[in-house]
Amino acid sequence: MSEFAKSLSVTASALKAQATRLRHVSENISNADTPGYRRKTIPFEAVRDLSNDTEMVKAGRVRLDQSELEKIYDPSHPLADASGHYQSSNVDLMIEIADAREAQRSYDANLKMFEQTRQMSSSLMDLLRR
Amino acid sequence: MDIRALSAASGYAAAKPATKVDPGHQAAGMGDRAKASFESFTQTLQASEQASVQAMTGQGDPHVLVQALAQTELAVETAVTVRNKVVEAFQELLRMPV
Repeated sequence: MSEFAKSLSVTASALKAQATRLRHVSENISNADTPGYRRKTIPFEAVRDLSNDTEMVKAGRVRLDQSELEKIYDPSHPLADASGHYQSSNVDLMIEIADAREAQRSYDANLKMFEQTRQMSSSLMDLLRR
Repeated sequence: MDIRALSAASGYAAAKPATKVDPGHQAAGMGDRAKASFESFTQTLQASEQASVQAMTGQGDPHVLVQALAQTELAVETAVTVRNKVVEAFQELLRMPV
């Protein structure tokens, strides 16, 4: 496997990891108003491929944010307790939007790397052409 | 001065076997190497075809498809360039005045 092919596969793994991250962000945003929902976070892990001597990235196991659920006062809500409060989700839309934007930037950076690898390999082959 | 000349002489003596003909040595066949590279080229093509079929039927990951196609592009480009170079060399031979 040439270095170009290796860097293409490493970049593809990063693209996939960022896409997974974006999916979890969108799950959090869609469930922002679900009572009792805890926001999901995913850690990124480095995966060493010994056969190719490359280090790829992989989205790890989902973790649930254990911070306090938001209490909302609504006595008419079916889940309301004696004091008229019910527990909503602990999703903060501001954090989710920032996270989504960060995933997008990272995705763009990896796409640029993909493009650059292709350009470099094709200009190398252009040397042989006349 | 004497010592230097001596060490140079022993150095030459040590380097001498490098230029000797080794009768047991066998060059890796050109054909074998070409065969191996053609096989890996075919494997790359097959992998990209598989990825394309999976992506078209909605099972595959688009990232895998893009990666496989980019790698195929790289492989095909290399193969075509090398072939052109070989054909060019062959034509150069044909043009040689005998």
